[in-house]
Amino acid sequence: MGELKTVFWLTLKEKRDVALAIMFGFLAGLAGVALLGASGYLISKAALTAQMTTLVVMAASLKLFGFAAAITRYAERLFSHRATFTMLGHLRGSFFERLAPLAPGIFQRHQSGDLLSRIVGDVESLQNFLLRVLYPPIVVGMILVATVFFTSFYSLPMALIVLVGAIFVVVILPAFFALRRRKKTHATGETRGEFAAASAEFLYGFKDLKIHLALDQKSAELQESAHRYEQAQQNEGLEENRVQSVNALVAFLASFFVLATGAYFVSIGELSGLYLAMLVMVSLGAFENVGPLAALPAYYEESRIAARRLDEVVDEEPDNSTGTMPEGPVDIQANRISYRYPNDSRLSLDEVSFQLPQGSKTAIVGPSGSGKSTLLQLLLKVAVPENGEIRFGNEALSGMCPENVWERMNIVLQENHFFSGTIESNLRIANEQADTEQLHEALELVRLGHLELSAPVYEKGRNLSGGEKQRLAMARAFLKGERLWLLDEPFSSVDGVTAQSIYSELFTRHPQDTFVIISHDLSGLENMDRILVLENGRLIEQGNYQELMERRGYFFGLKKIEEQVFV
Amino acid sequence: MGSLKQMAYSQNNRIRLLFLASLAKGLAMIGQALFFVWVADSVFLKSASFEDVLPLLAALLAVILLRAGASYAIGRLGITLSVEARRRLRRELIASYKENPLQGSIAGQSGRKVGLLLEAVDDTDGYFSKYIPQMIQSYTIPLMLLGVIFYLNWTTGLIILITAPFIPLFMAIVGKRTKQKADEKVEQLAGFSGAFLDVLQGLTTLRLFGQAKRQSDTIRDNSLKFRDSTMDVLKSAFLSSLTLEYISMLSIGIVALEIGLRLVVFDSITFFPAFLVMLLVPDFFNLLKEFGSAFHTARGSAASAELLTEELAKNHQPVEWGEFPVNAPIELAVEQVGFQYGEGFQLEPASFKLDAGTSTALVGASGSGKSTLMNVMAGLLPATSGRLLINGLPQKQVSEDEWFGQLSYITQDPYLFAGTIKENIELGSNQAVAKQELIAAAQKAGILELVESLPEGFDTVIGEAGRGLSGGEKQRLVLARAFLKKPSLLFFDEPTAGLDLHTEQVLQRAIEELSKEATVITIAHRLHTIRNASRIIVLDAGKVEAIGTHEELMDSFSPYRSMIEAQQGGKQAWVN
Repeated sequence: MGELKTVFWLTLKEKRDVALAIMFGFLAGLAGVALLGASGYLISKAALTAQMTTLVVMAASLKLFGFAAAITRYAERLFSHRATFTMLGHLRGSFFERLAPLAPGIFQRHQSGDLLSRIVGDVESLQNFLLRVLYPPIVVGMILVATVFFTSFYSLPMALIVLVGAIFVVVILPAFFALRRRKKTHATGETRGEFAAASAEFLYGFKDLKIHLALDQKSAELQESAHRYEQAQQNEGLEENRVQSVNALVAFLASFFVLATGAYFVSIGELSGLYLAMLVMVSLGAFENVGPLAALPAYYEESRIAARRLDEVVDEEPDNSTGTMPEGPVDIQANRISYRYPNDSRLSLDEVSFQLPQGSKTAIVGPSGSGKSTLLQLLLKVAVPENGEIRFGNEALSGMCPENVWERMNIVLQENHFFSGTIESNLRIANEQADTEQLHEALELVRLGHLELSAPVYEKGRNLSGGEKQRLAMARAFLKGERLWLLDEPFSSVDGVTAQSIYSELFTRHPQDTFVIISHDLSGLENMDRILVLENGRLIEQGNYQELMERRGYFFGLKKIEEQVFV
Repeated sequence: MGSLKQMAYSQNNRIRLLFLASLAKGLAMIGQALFFVWVADSVFLKSASFEDVLPLLAALLAVILLRAGASYAIGRLGITLSVEARRRLRRELIASYKENPLQGSIAGQSGRKVGLLLEAVDDTDGYFSKYIPQMIQSYTIPLMLLGVIFYLNWTTGLIILITAPFIPLFMAIVGKRTKQKADEKVEQLAGFSGAFLDVLQGLTTLRLFGQAKRQSDTIRDNSLKFRDSTMDVLKSAFLSSLTLEYISMLSIGIVALEIGLRLVVFDSITFFPAFLVMLLVPDFFNLLKEFGSAFHTARGSAASAELLTEELAKNHQPVEWGEFPVNAPIELAVEQVGFQYGEGFQLEPASFKLDAGTSTALVGASGSGKSTLMNVMAGLLPATSGRLLINGLPQKQVSEDEWFGQLSYITQDPYLFAGTIKENIELGSNQAVAKQELIAAAQKAGILELVESLPEGFDTVIGEAGRGLSGGEKQRLVLARAFLKKPSLLFFDEPTAGLDLHTEQVLQRAIEELSKEATVITIAHRLHTIRNASRIIVLDAGKVEAIGTHEELMDSFSPYRSMIEAQQGGKQAWVN
C-alpha cells in the first residue's frame, strides 16, 4: 500500500465526491436488496391473504425500489468518475511539480525514449485506483453490514452466516488473490517486452536476416516469443476467471446456507415462514454486488506498479546548489573534465580541458558520437562531470544553482519545443517584457520577418519546418539578451548561406558576447576564433581555422572527406 | 467483424463446448430457482420438516456447484478461444511479413507493423473472450428461461415477448446517441489528453527559460477541463444504462402486477409457480443487458480487426527462385529489368552487365531509384519486367539459399540484433565458427581492438538495435560479418560523412579488401569511390541515363560532368 500513498491522499482531497459516490453506491445496493427482499416478502404474504392492499403495496414498492436503485446507481457513477478525473488532474500537477526540478538532466539519464509516454500512461492507469480498487470493497462491505444488521432482527444465526460470507468476499479472497498475483504478475509484462523486442528485430532487421539466411530461424524464434507472451496472457486471464468464479461461488454458498438455516428454523417453528423467502432474497441481493471485487486484485496490482514506477522516476534529489554566476562577462574554463553515461562502460568525455576567454567565438566540431553534445550538457549543468571542473569566471559551476546558470545564457538545443499557441506566445517564453518591435526585430534577425506574430503554432510546432523551428529557437535566444551563447547545432536544417549571414549579423551586433557553437558541418568556420575538435570524447586538436588547416592533421582530414561527399 | 466471427467459429470444439456449458448454466439457473422455491414452499406453506427438505437442499447445492462450474467453464473457454485465435492471427501475420519482399526495402513501415502484431491483435481479445461467449449464452439461456416461464404461466411469457424487444431497440438508439456525443467531443478530448504530454515534452525548454513553475497550474486546469468534457460523454453513456434499467424494471413491474393479480384477486396461480416466475424474469432481463455491454466491447475490437484484415489481404508478389547452385565468381546481367510497386515509384526497364570481379557505382540524386535498383539486383525485390541473369542462368532457376549465401549487403543504417558481439558477427556464417576465424574477421574490420578492450570481449551483450555502439562501430561490426561470410557479390550503400576519420579509413580499407574477391555494386556518395569504379551507372527519376567509366562520362555525358564540377567547385585542391 505504501506505493499508493500519494494517490490515496490525492483521492481523499475530493472528499465530497468520494463520500457522495460511496453514499449513492451504498443506497443503490440497498435499494437492490430491498427490491428483492420486498418481492420475497410480498409474494409470501400474497400467498396467504387475498387483500388488495398487499397487491398495491407489492406493485408500488417494487417500482419504488427499482427506480431508486437505477437513479442512485446513476448518481454513484457520476460522482465516482468525477472524483477520479479530478484526482488525475491533481496527480498530473503534483507529479509535474516533482519532475520539473529534475529536468532536463533526468531526460539525459533515462535514455529510453518512451519515458514520457510511459509517465502519461502510468498516470492514466491510476484512474482505476478509486473506481476499482479503493471504493468497491467499501461499498460492498457497507451493503453487507447493513444486510447483516437487518437479518439479525429475524435470526442471529442467519446474520452470522451473511457476516462470514461477507468477510470472505470483501477481505479474505481479495487479499489472498492479490498476494498470489504479486508473486507472478511480472510474467506478462516481461514476455510482452520480449515479444515487442523480437518483433522489432524481425521487422527492422529483415534485410540482414534474409541475406544471412537467418529468416526462418528468427521467425521461428519470434513465434516462440509470441507463444510465451500468449501463454502468460492466458495464465493471467485464467487466474482472473478463477477469482471471479470463486467469488461467485462463495456468494451463492452464503445464500444457500442462509436458506438451509432458515428452513431449519422455520421447520422447528423459531422463524415465521413468511420471512424465509425475504431473508434469502435479501442475502442473494446483497451478494449480487460482489462482482466488481473479482477484478480488484488485478487492478490493485496494476495501480501499485504504476504508482511505484512514477515514484521511481522522480526519486532523485534535485540540484539544490545556491551559488550564482559572477556578474558581467565571464570566461569559461574546463579542467580535465570526464563524463560517463549511466550504465556505460566507456567515457563519453575523457579529460577535456580548454579555456574560452570572454567575448571569444568558439566552434566545437567532431563526428557524431564524439562527445560534442555531452560537453554542452556539462556546460549547462544538465549533467555533472565525473571528474574535473568547469569554471565560469572564478566560480566553480558545481556550486551554482542551475536555474541561475540558465538564466544567464542564451541557449539553443538540438531539439527545441514549441507549444501550441502563436508565434508570439512561443517567443515570449524567452522574454515576457519584450515589446512588439523587439519581437519583430528577433524575427528579422533569423530571416523570418515574413511571419506574423499572431500566426498559429500547432502542438510541437508541427506546422513549422525544421529550419523554421531552429530559427525561431534562435530568435528566442536572441530575445533573452544575455551575454553568453551556447548553441547546439542550431542551424543543421538551415541552408548554409542563411546560417552564415545570421551568424555574422550576430557577431557584429554582439562583438563582446561569448559564443560556443556546436557545429555539424565544417563550412563557415573561417570566422571563428577557435575550433575545438573532438573525437571519441577526447579533445584532439584546437586552434583557429588557418592553424588547423596548416597543421594538416585530423581537422584537415575531416574537411577533405567532407568535400568529397556528394549529397 | 465477419472474419473474426469465422475465426472464432473455426474452433469448432470450443464453440460446441461453449454451447454445452451455456446449456448447463441455463439448467443450473432454472434449477437454483426451482429448488430454492421448492424448499421455501415446503417449509413455509406445506409445513414440511427439515429432514423432508434435506434432499432438496442437497439438490440445490448441486445446481449451485453446477452453475459455478459452468460459469467457470464459459470464462475459461472464452479465454482459451481468444488466445488461440490471436495466436493464429499472429502466425498468419508473421508468415505474411516473412513472405513480403517489400519488407526489406520499405523499412519505414516497420513501426506500424510491430503495432499490428502487438496492439491490434490484442485489441481483438474483447471480441473472442467476452462477446462470443456472451452471444452463445444469449442464444441459449434466455430461450430456456422463456420456455420455463411459458410452461409455468403463459401470460407472463407473453408479456416478456412483447416487452423484451424494447431492450435491444433502445440499446441501439441510445448507443448511437452516445457514440454521436463521443464523436463530437473526440477532438477536444484528444487535445486535452495530449496536453500533459506536450508540457512534459517541453519541460526542457520551459526549464531553460525559467518557465516551469507556472505550468503545474495549467496542467491542473487542463485536467479539470478534460474531466468536464469526459463527464459529458460519460453522462450520456450512464443515462443510456439508466434507460435500459428503467425498461427492464418496467417490464418486471408489469409481470409482478400480473402475477399479483392472479395470486391475490383471481387466485388462479399458487405460490410455487408465481415465486418461480418472479425469480426467473429478472435473470432473463439481466442476460439481455449483459449481452448489450458485450456488444460494445466487440465494437471496440472492430477497428483493429479491420486493420488486420487489410494487412492480411495484401497480395505479395514474392521473388521466385529455383534449384541451381551459384558459384563464384559472379557475373550479373540485367536485361530490361524494371520495377513498379502499385501506383508508386517506377523503375524503367534497363539493361547492363556486371562482369565478374568488377566494381560498379550507382549515382544519382536521392529518390532517383538507386536503392530500388539495388534491391532488385540483390533479389530482394521481384523485377516486374525483364530478367536477371546470374552467371548466365535466369535468376528464377537459381537457388535462393545459394544466392544469399554468396552476397553481403551493407547499408548506411546497419541493424544489430540483441545478443553478444560474437552472435552478431556469426550471423555472417551458417556454420560453427572457430575462434580464430572470428578474431580474423574482427581484425580485418578494424574492430578487434575495441572488442578486446571490453571486459566481456566477444561475449559483450549489445542491446536492442545495437544500442551502446556508435555508428562507426556498428558499421565495423557489420563489416566483420561480411569478412566472415567472404561474399563473392557485395552490395554496398556507402555511408556518408559523420563517421570519425579512423572509421572512415578502416571502412575504406576493409571495403577494398572485400572487393578484391567480389563483384561489387556501390551506391556511391564519394568521388573517390565513383572515380575508382570500373563502371558508373547514372540514374535520374527511375531511369538509367548513362553508363560508362568516369572518363567516358566526363567526355560524353554533360549532366555528369556538371555534377562533378559542381561538387568540386573551387575546392580542386582537396580532391585526390
